[in-house]
Amino acid sequence: MKQNKQIKQMIFCFLTPAVLFFLLVFLYPVVRTIAMSFFYVEGVSDATSTWQFIGLENYTTLMKTAIFRESIKNMLKIWLWGGLITMSISMLFAVILTSGAKFKEFYKAVIYIPNIINAVAISTMWMTAIFNKRFGFLHNFFAFFGSNLATTDYMSGSIKFWTLLVAFCFGSVGYYMLILMSGIERIPADIYEAATIDGASKPAQFRRITLPLLTSVIKNCIVFWTVGVVGFFVWSQMWSAPLSSELTTITPFVYMYNITFGTTGNADRNAAMGAAVGVLMAITVLFVFFAVNRLIKDEDVEF
Amino acid sequence: MRRNKSSHLELKKQMRLLPGHIVVGLWCLFTIGMLAWIAAASLSTSPEIMRGKTLQFETGLHFENYVKAWTANNISVFFMNSLLYASTAMVGSLLVSAPAAYVLARFVFKGNSTIRSSFVMAMSLPQIMIVLPLFFLTTKMGLTGSKFVLILIYIGMQVPYTTIFLISFFNNLSRGYEEAAAIDGCPPMKTFWTIMMPLAQPGIVTVGIFNFMSIWNEYFLSLIFAASEKNMSVGPGLKSVLTAMQYTGDWGGLFAAVVIVFTPTLLLFICLSKTIINGITAGGVKG
Repeated sequence: MKQNKQIKQMIFCFLTPAVLFFLLVFLYPVVRTIAMSFFYVEGVSDATSTWQFIGLENYTTLMKTAIFRESIKNMLKIWLWGGLITMSISMLFAVILTSGAKFKEFYKAVIYIPNIINAVAISTMWMTAIFNKRFGFLHNFFAFFGSNLATTDYMSGSIKFWTLLVAFCFGSVGYYMLILMSGIERIPADIYEAATIDGASKPAQFRRITLPLLTSVIKNCIVFWTVGVVGFFVWSQMWSAPLSSELTTITPFVYMYNITFGTTGNADRNAAMGAAVGVLMAITVLFVFFAVNRLIKDEDVEF
Repeated sequence: MRRNKSSHLELKKQMRLLPGHIVVGLWCLFTIGMLAWIAAASLSTSPEIMRGKTLQFETGLHFENYVKAWTANNISVFFMNSLLYASTAMVGSLLVSAPAAYVLARFVFKGNSTIRSSFVMAMSLPQIMIVLPLFFLTTKMGLTGSKFVLILIYIGMQVPYTTIFLISFFNNLSRGYEEAAAIDGCPPMKTFWTIMMPLAQPGIVTVGIFNFMSIWNEYFLSLIFAASEKNMSVGPGLKSVLTAMQYTGDWGGLFAAVVIVFTPTLLLFICLSKTIINGITAGGVKG
């Protein structure tokens, strides 16, 4: 009896701090952000009493704003092209490294390195060591072959978006490769042995065995990727330095930062517009989550 | 003879994988080359870098770039701030999350699964959804510009992930320990701190490293809540060094700053790469 009471006490004492943090840092902000998106709020720190209810006006205004539409377009481009590039390379590497290649641990660690380095540091490295038009690797590479691509400025115009995407995807590969690898390693080896005995080629084995058995892992990857792309901020800011943002690389997150915290001249400051951007992004993640679960059927296999 | 044959087989297998080795090897070479170039550039003068003579060290190694970066570029301030944020928030998040993870893993009670699924959802919540009200709260409480706010927010941000990660570790511990302790009359809370926490150490170390690294590398929240350079962490700090560089042209100092910023996490990773990589796939795969 005494033991039971003590356990109840423990459950209460042990959970309270975590739940309080959750309420304060997640639940309360989410509720307030959703509510805020239906009001006109001049400054982020204005009291609730000064809010004016305007219904869906923030959303309709956003849809009519050219910069916001541009930022959505950029985000979709990053999601689609970046996603395709990152997932295919990650899958290729995962297959190579799980097929018995030597130095697997070393490769894994080196490919993961960009993930553990501060994004500001790694993007500075890309912008200088690789893409600098005077001493970067790309310049030297093309100059070596005498190609006139050496004179290109990789950090301006429409190329800028693609250099940003390449650098971002290069860093993301390590994480998705590790997830896919752990998925592949869970597939029992005897399935492949049986397939080899039956004369199935390696590509056929990949298509018929690996891919179908990885569907739930791939679904997770798509959701993680979406969460990552919605949070696309620091790379975009780095690629537009010294400006705070630029049309070619702006994302909704950066746009939200500009209209609520930004110092860039904005006559019609409306903090609630930023809240509406946040709500739209959260809906995007939810939408992808449900779409992926609806569209891609799980093969119900347990190992 | 037999041994010879098997090593021959192994060689044949690796030859078959040669295209794979080339692709992955080039990728790794590129990564290492980039890091090496930055390290070399951090020891060169700005004119050398501009003329593309980074790897030749014609005028010797310029360690004064590091002194300049550390003092004149304010990197020391950012570095110490990040160290403070990352270590206190790491310890804080573990102290908050480990007990919660333990009771969630061990006991059946009303709300258990609600808490779990709320935490899982919180992990994929975009930061833009929560930053405005948090900013409102800090201004209202008059806490803007204090380091304490960032530490609290960082702890809160890590709680859901840390808890979910540790639940599986406590799940794997045998219930025998608690039963034995209960028979000896040890109260359950004491059992947790003296027996269960030490047993869960591998998980706690792994998630602790993750939290340290992700706070060290955090950018957005520091940008919003630091308010001034004296509270900034290395991310926004390094960006301000980069902006200043456009006017001073001090490339050597910039690269030294970059190296200083990535060294702590890179060292941690080199020493503990196995723990970290296994942790990503063990607890990192959410849902």
